[in-house]
Amino acid sequence: MTHVILEARDIRYRYPHGMEAIRGISFHVRRGEKVALVGPNGAGKSTLLLMFNGMLRPDSGVLLFDNRPIRYDGGSLRELRRRVGFVFQNPDRQIIAPTVYQDVAFGPTNLGLPEEQVRVAVEAALRNVGLTGFERRPPHQLSSGEKKRVAIAGVLAMDPDLLVLDEPTSNLDPAGSEDIMELLEELKGNGKTILISTHDVELAYPWADRVILLRGGEILQEDSPDVAFSDTDLVRKARLSVPVLLDLYRELERRGLSLPGKRPKTVLDMINTIEQVTRKGASSPLYGTIHVCNVDETTREALSRWLSDHGGISLGAMGTRAKQRASEEELPLDFSYGVIDKCILKALNGRSSLILTVGGMVQQVERRVSDFKVESGAEIPVRKVERT
Amino acid sequence: MYEELLEDIAQKNGLREVSPYLKLAGALGAILLCLSSTSFIAPLAIALLLSLGILFLARVDLRTYGELLVAPFSFALMGAFVIILLSGGGEPLWSWSPLPWLSFSITRGSINEGILVLSRVAGGMSALIFIALTTPMTDLFLVMRRCRVPEPVLDLAMMIYRTIFMIMDQLVQTYQAQRMRLGYTSFRESVRSFSMLCGSVFIGSWDAGEDLIRAMDARCYSGRFAMAGEIRPVEVKSFLAVAFFLVVSSAIVLSTGNIAII
Repeated sequence: MTHVILEARDIRYRYPHGMEAIRGISFHVRRGEKVALVGPNGAGKSTLLLMFNGMLRPDSGVLLFDNRPIRYDGGSLRELRRRVGFVFQNPDRQIIAPTVYQDVAFGPTNLGLPEEQVRVAVEAALRNVGLTGFERRPPHQLSSGEKKRVAIAGVLAMDPDLLVLDEPTSNLDPAGSEDIMELLEELKGNGKTILISTHDVELAYPWADRVILLRGGEILQEDSPDVAFSDTDLVRKARLSVPVLLDLYRELERRGLSLPGKRPKTVLDMINTIEQVTRKGASSPLYGTIHVCNVDETTREALSRWLSDHGGISLGAMGTRAKQRASEEELPLDFSYGVIDKCILKALNGRSSLILTVGGMVQQVERRVSDFKVESGAEIPVRKVERT
Repeated sequence: MYEELLEDIAQKNGLREVSPYLKLAGALGAILLCLSSTSFIAPLAIALLLSLGILFLARVDLRTYGELLVAPFSFALMGAFVIILLSGGGEPLWSWSPLPWLSFSITRGSINEGILVLSRVAGGMSALIFIALTTPMTDLFLVMRRCRVPEPVLDLAMMIYRTIFMIMDQLVQTYQAQRMRLGYTSFRESVRSFSMLCGSVFIGSWDAGEDLIRAMDARCYSGRFAMAGEIRPVEVKSFLAVAFFLVVSSAIVLSTGNIAII
């Protein structure tokens, strides 16, 4: 049973001496969901987010966390803030301490954990975001993407249930944004619920389970991303744009191409849809193989031997730890985000690839490929690189 | 960008992994020896040894180190010059009375004193720069914690350290924005622009302060600040090196006590 972790019932908020920023908003977030609050600048996204960990208190209406109304006394707020990790838009404003270690340790130390447990929590958090080895670095020497990771690690160290991120990809380069979105995907895999605000529709569209369109302090629409972004009128009202893939799909439909299946979220979905239309009846082509390697279980030598046996294979890394390993061993990555989809695309084209990843994500590859088989009928072989 | 430069060098200098206790002991010992020396030779020798350490052990490049020395030395030179003209003692070598109530003279004693002061400045400055270039603030915070510096003072120091870089960033950006729009072309304009710069940085830091409180609240602040892991252990090799340096310097101080320049 999926139960509701956060619920808002008709909340309103007016800034002192200002306009009403939130005008009666009701919605809920289920445990394990990825929700994107999407809206233009000034829609009230940040204001709304700040209410979820009790930084702002609504003037009227009720906010429930874990089915209990949020209370605003010191003790309850501390517990709430431990369970709702808040990542600010500007990491410089969130990072407090002079070294990465001290900053990530800030939360757990203030929760009163003994030093040994603090150390364990910090190490785990830094490993999670792929910043192992950065402990003694001062934050001002890090890149924007690294600072963002430190900020996320600082929140993860308190082991929250719900992660709230305000514009997680602002100020990051495209690769940095993809890295962060993939990190959020990994965190979801670890059982966290994730709520982000953004105005980047291209990022929110494939990522979110559910999208809440916000404008002028009110909810315009709340639905799965393909439905929410399909309503051109609403999207225009919210000063956003229709995601390119969705736009393309609808334009094809309008030209009388009857496309089977659901609306495409990724390039792979789109290719699959098109191939189903064009390849009707043709014999099934020869697919490439997707090899999966768990880097935690494979030595450096075994990996380089395998790679030299399979020259010219495309290489992708999934997950922060696998990417860190790849950069340590100076392996040239062909893909660093959306890896499974890109490897399936390669395989459809008859080319093989290797995915470097860790632990549970090996199953994720297998699951995605078998899901794809159900969708498209294409049976792509997945092989694990054997331990040697 | 000056402070940032120093701190950045310190973060990746060749002696980063040496225990900060040893580096501090060496440098503070050097300062005490410079002050207790009665001859100009010992402070100069200490300055030379520390400079060699900075250049070859910490691998700071010569140019950076030279630039750091220019400012304190120009002050020290002026100071020494005044001391030589005004202080007395011993036989006068040169004197000049432009007015009945004003006279300058250079004596044997004044030259000795001026040179001694100058060499002490050289020794002391190289010791201070040695600390600045080899021991980053983050390590010094750990040492201060061990030395029982009161926690509120230390927490404040750490937040100030972090904030300096943020305000610095803002300062540089605003300054560049002003220069791009010709904010410093005339004297009047410079005064106006500078006052605006100060104002905007003040407001910016006020905002940053409020954000800091929010950021701390959002992470359950209850008056505790974590410390960064462990201090690097004292290694035998570096311990012997520092001990050797201090012994040699002390020996020079003792053996050259009576040597004066003239």
